[in-house]
Amino acid sequence: MSFWENIKMALGAIKSNKMRSLLTMLGIIIGISAVITITTLGNTLKSTFNNAMSLTGSSNLIMAQLYPNDGDYDIDIDISDYITMDMVEEFMDKYPGKFYFGSDTSAGEGTLINSKNNTVNVSILGGAEGTFDSYAIKMLYGRKVTFRDSLESRHTCVVSDVFVEQYFKNKEEPIGKQISVTVNESLPVDFTIIGVYKYNEMIMGNSGGVKREDLKTNLIIPYSVALEVNNRYRDDLFYSVIFSFDKSLTPEEATSTLEDFFSEKYEYNKNWGVKVVTNEQLMSVMSTAINIVTVIISVIAALSLIVGGVGVMNIMLVSVTERTREIGIRKALGAKKKTIKGQFVTEAIIICLIGGIIGILLGLLNGELVAIIANKIVASQPDYADLLGNVKVSPPVGGIIISLIFSTLTGVFFGLYPASKAAKMNPIDALRYD
Amino acid sequence: MSRTIIKMRNIVKRYYIGQPNELEILHGMDIDIHEGEFVAIVGASGSGKSTLMNIIGALDKPTEGVYYLDDTDISKLNDKQLSDIRNKKIGFVFQTFNLISRQNALKNVELPMLYGGMSRKDRSKRAMELLKLVEMEDRYTHQPNELSGGQKQRVAIARAMANDPAIILADEPTGALDSKTGHLVMDIFHKLHKQEGKTIVLITHSPELASETERIITISDGMIISDSANPDAGKDIDLSDIDDFETDENGMQILPVGDDPMKNMQVLMKGGIRVTGEEDHR
Repeated sequence: MSFWENIKMALGAIKSNKMRSLLTMLGIIIGISAVITITTLGNTLKSTFNNAMSLTGSSNLIMAQLYPNDGDYDIDIDISDYITMDMVEEFMDKYPGKFYFGSDTSAGEGTLINSKNNTVNVSILGGAEGTFDSYAIKMLYGRKVTFRDSLESRHTCVVSDVFVEQYFKNKEEPIGKQISVTVNESLPVDFTIIGVYKYNEMIMGNSGGVKREDLKTNLIIPYSVALEVNNRYRDDLFYSVIFSFDKSLTPEEATSTLEDFFSEKYEYNKNWGVKVVTNEQLMSVMSTAINIVTVIISVIAALSLIVGGVGVMNIMLVSVTERTREIGIRKALGAKKKTIKGQFVTEAIIICLIGGIIGILLGLLNGELVAIIANKIVASQPDYADLLGNVKVSPPVGGIIISLIFSTLTGVFFGLYPASKAAKMNPIDALRYD
Repeated sequence: MSRTIIKMRNIVKRYYIGQPNELEILHGMDIDIHEGEFVAIVGASGSGKSTLMNIIGALDKPTEGVYYLDDTDISKLNDKQLSDIRNKKIGFVFQTFNLISRQNALKNVELPMLYGGMSRKDRSKRAMELLKLVEMEDRYTHQPNELSGGQKQRVAIARAMANDPAIILADEPTGALDSKTGHLVMDIFHKLHKQEGKTIVLITHSPELASETERIITISDGMIISDSANPDAGKDIDLSDIDDFETDENGMQILPVGDDPMKNMQVLMKGGIRVTGEEDHR
C-alpha cells in the first residue's frame, strides 16, 4: 500500500471525527505555537537590537555613567556629583589619540535660505569625533567636527550630501563656504562647512514618502557650540558620557582605563561613582536575557508537547479499540500487520503534524501582533524611534523546521504503541467485537 | 472431476492447549471441495462451524491436520503469508456485511485490491465492473449508511470478488436480511456460481438456505455427520414429513442419520438433538 493511500486513509479517519481530532491536537498546537511565538520574538528583539547597536556604531563605543554606590537610584544628585566637561577634557588630554568624545546634544531646528531663495531645513546636532562613530556616520570628504572645535567654540559644521544638493544644487564646492543658519527661528548663526557626510536613511530615521529635495538632514556642529546657540552653557554637565575608543585598545583595556580615571575622580564622593559599560556588554546582556527566556519557554513547550503526545496516544488507543471491528475487517481482507501499523502511525503523525502546522501559524501570527504593538510603542518614543527604526519580524526558519520535525517525532513516538496494539489484534476476535 | 480447491485432512482444533480447561472443538474433519462447487456447511450454533469457517478462511490455523487451499498448505504459513492468502484466495461475505463505514461503496470494493497492491486506475475500473455485476453501479458513491441491508451485502459480495479469489466464503450472508432481500442476495450467489463458475462455500444454520445449494455438509459437535449431494437443490423443503422421532431416556429427540441430506437437516432443525449411530466422543 502506498504512502499516499495511507495518508488519504488517515485524513479520512481524522475528518470523520473532527472535534475529537482538534481537541487531540490542542496540546501540540499550544506547545508549538509557544515555541514559535517566543523564537519569533527572540529573533525580532535580537535583530532589532543588533540593528540599533550596529547603527549606533561599532563595537568600540564605551559609556561612563553615574552609578549610586549603594545601588539605590533614589538618592538626590547634587550639581557637584555630575561628570563635568573639565573631567572629560582632562581625560582626553591624558590619553591623546585613544579616546574620542562621542556624546551628542540636539540644538534644535535650523533654517537656511540659499542664493536662489530656496529654503532648506536642517536638524542641528552637537557632537565631536566620537559622535560620528556612535551614529555610524560615514564621511565623504573634508573633516569631522572635533573635540578641539568644541573646546574652542569654533563655528564649524559638517553637512550631508543631501544638504549639498539642496543648498548648493551641486554647483559649488561646499568646503570652506560660510552658511547662515536661523536656529529655532531666532537669530541667524554663521558656520563654516568643513566636511560632508553620506546621508543614511537607516540611521537618520524615517523619510517615508519624503522626496530627497525636501529631506531634513543633520547639521553637525561642535558640542559646546550646540549648547551656546541654545544658551545652555550650564549644560556641560553629564549624567553619562559616550566615547569611542581607538582600535588599538581592547574593550577591556578601554573599560579599565575609564574606570581607573573616574574612580580617582569620585574617590571622595559618598553617594555616586561611575560605572563603565561597553556596547558589546550591553548587547551580550541583552542576548543572554533573550536566550534565557527562550530556553525557559522551550522547556515549557517541550512539556506541553509531551502532554500533547500523551493525549494523542490516549486518543489513538481509544480509536484503536473503537475500530477493532474495522481492523478485523481489514485483516480479513488481507491487510498485513505492517499495513495496519502504518495506518495508525500515519494517523498519529498527521494529527501531530496538523497540530504543529496550526501551532506554527498561530505562533507567527502572535509574533506579527507583538511586532505591531512594538512598532506602536517605538513610534510613541520619538527619542528612540530613529535608533530602533522599524521593528521587523524575523520568522524563525530553524524553529519552524525543528517544530515540524518534533511534531512528526511526537506522532511516531506516541502513535507506535497504539498502532502495534492494533496490528497485533487477532482478526477473529476483532471481527466478533461489537 | 474438476480440480480440488479445498482439501482438508484430519483437521483438529483445540483451545487452551495444556491448560485444565483444554477444549477440542473440531475432532478431525476431512473435507474436499472442488472447483466450481456451491457447498453449504450447515450446523447448529456450537457445532463448530464458526471455527471451521475461520480455518477455511485462513483466519486461524488448525491444531492438527493439513489444509490445502488451491494447492497451498495453509497450516504451514506464517502471519504475513496468511494475510496474502486471505487477500488473494478468499473472498469473505459476512452476516453483518462489515463494510468500512467511512468509505463509499467503490472504495470498499477497492480495498482488497489496494492491499493486493493493484494500481489505482486498475482498482477503480475493476471495482466498477464488480459493482455492475451485483447491480450496484449507480450507487458507487454512496456511503454504507446510505444503503439498505441488501444493497450493503451486494457491495460486500462485489468486494469479496475483488481479487478473483479461489473461493467465496459466505458466513450467514442472509442472516441479517428479511427473507425477500435474502433471496435477492442468494440470487447473486447463484449468478456468481453459474455465470462466473465461482467456488462458493456457504456457512449457515438454516437448512432452508442450504437447500438451495448443490452439496450439503452437515456438522454437529465438531464432526461431519453427513456430506452429500443435494439433488433437490432449489426446491422448497417440506418439514411436515418429519415425524419418526424417537425419544431417548433424557427426553431428547433422536433420529438416525440417513443418506438424505434434507432429512438430516430437518433433524437438525427440529433442534437440540444428538445423533444416533455415532459414538459419544466425550
